[in-house]
Amino acid sequence: MAQSKLFPVTTVGSWTRPEWLIHALRRRQAEEITAYEFNRIADDAVLAAIKYQEDAGVDIVSDGETRRDNFYSFVVEKLGGMKLMKLSELLDYIKDRAGFEEILRGLDVPAFAIKSPIAIDRVREREEGIAQDEAQFLLAHTKRQTKMPIPGPYLLTRSSWFEGLSDKTYPSREDLAKDIVRILRHEVLALKKMGIDFIQLDEPSISQVVYGDEAEQTFMCAALGSRSDPTTELEFAVRLVNEVVDGIDGVRFGVHVCRGNWSRKEDVLLKGNYGPLLPWLMRMNVDQLVLEMATPRAGEIEVFKEYRNEKEIGLGVANPRTDTIEDPKQIVSRVKDFLKYFDPEKIFLNPDCGFGTFAERCVNTPEIAYRKLQAISEAAEILRREYA
Amino acid sequence: MAEKELNGLRVDKINSILDSMRDDPEVLKAVTGPWKSRVVWQGGFKAKAYMRKHIVAMDEPDGLDASDSAASAHEQLLSAVGSCLTVGYVLNATKRGVKVHDLEIALEGNFENILKWAGHAPDGNPAYPSIKAKCFVRADADEKTLREIWKAAVDGSPVTQTVARPTEIITDFEKV
Repeated sequence: MAQSKLFPVTTVGSWTRPEWLIHALRRRQAEEITAYEFNRIADDAVLAAIKYQEDAGVDIVSDGETRRDNFYSFVVEKLGGMKLMKLSELLDYIKDRAGFEEILRGLDVPAFAIKSPIAIDRVREREEGIAQDEAQFLLAHTKRQTKMPIPGPYLLTRSSWFEGLSDKTYPSREDLAKDIVRILRHEVLALKKMGIDFIQLDEPSISQVVYGDEAEQTFMCAALGSRSDPTTELEFAVRLVNEVVDGIDGVRFGVHVCRGNWSRKEDVLLKGNYGPLLPWLMRMNVDQLVLEMATPRAGEIEVFKEYRNEKEIGLGVANPRTDTIEDPKQIVSRVKDFLKYFDPEKIFLNPDCGFGTFAERCVNTPEIAYRKLQAISEAAEILRREYA
Repeated sequence: MAEKELNGLRVDKINSILDSMRDDPEVLKAVTGPWKSRVVWQGGFKAKAYMRKHIVAMDEPDGLDASDSAASAHEQLLSAVGSCLTVGYVLNATKRGVKVHDLEIALEGNFENILKWAGHAPDGNPAYPSIKAKCFVRADADEKTLREIWKAAVDGSPVTQTVARPTEIITDFEKV
């Protein structure tokens, strides 16, 4: 899985959505147009997302997750047995509503804006898979290397199992996890076979375990239906990720964790260094950790000292939620800090997170997202000249 | 021809009712009031409010050694403001032909001096001196239009304006 270039530039996945695409998405969700009709409209948006990335100098491009409602809820259309439910609908099933209300107020989000795929029946895969249609279109329209983000097994299990809705079919999360792992394993094998270079498992809810609220039911880029103590949760996450990727080589696997990407208000997002998470993340049998490191919320980088070169790092060097374009020289300086702990061939460069994690709450405009990627590419060129 | 529906409302019917409020004194009289509620003590801090064919339970939080079996009156006041704003928003959006997909209003208030209620501050004001009401809406219109609808909902909300303006409560008392 060696890269031809040092410091490859990539994205975390999602791109911003134009208003006309949001309009089409709403019509699709209201069943006013078919999935086929929506996808023909979305094709243009995907092509634009690819073009923006290529023009900005991105080496490993994604399709911008452009067809998705959000980074994980889209599975509801790809799997049987799941229902897309708004958090405002889930309020009826939440045990500690007062506690959840405090979380919503702290996050400054409406309950209706966040949607989760909830297991309401036996979860079944369909012939077209989860992201294989997206992958097919992406592969047909770029000559660059490709990245395909898919929701990780821990995120999907934790967000999809809700007491009162899922427990008739799956008495416990463990029962649901077996089906989720089986389905995701089939998916990554199919994506590898199609020729996708980099499969990213999105697991943002892992950071909620360490840095988030202690409530059993909470939110971290996803409505999270249940949790145990942190050690049990993290062990569960490691086991599920390893079961999905076990024995599969010939494709780069990454795990992305972050501390929230739904608001531009930094103070409502989670914070803390990666120290408490790294022992578990390093036990995941993936090539790369895709981490947000561009804001002070990511904490001290010295925590990587004892994990020198253990994995590649997808280094977040641009904040997707600001209007300011990062200075390439400052990005270079930040990367050099990490070169104390990672060799040049271990470092990939990316923004902290996507630019449109939630289709209807994109955190930036395409123009600014493009310029941020340009700044990262410029920094990569400077670094390549220095470390070639 | 099928009746036109928008936001779960029959557009022609609603417009007809609004027009009749303007044009028919009897309709105006009927919607003006009096609106009534009868609140009956249920023991402890519990009460029930009877309004036409509806019953709403009230209690106090367990911090007051109550059973917390229902929302408190001061929480229901916030909810009443939010509910009235919701009705107003949907009404004004529908009048302007705007489809509303989702609407949520988050309300919050802090008492100025709850010690007055507790009997420890004879001159204190136990009221909410202000109430925050944040509207989240997802609808098919530009932001300017949606803000205009919000303003119309706030300005035209009977409950909001009752709370916002000095309102005389004409009390009476009788020992039975």
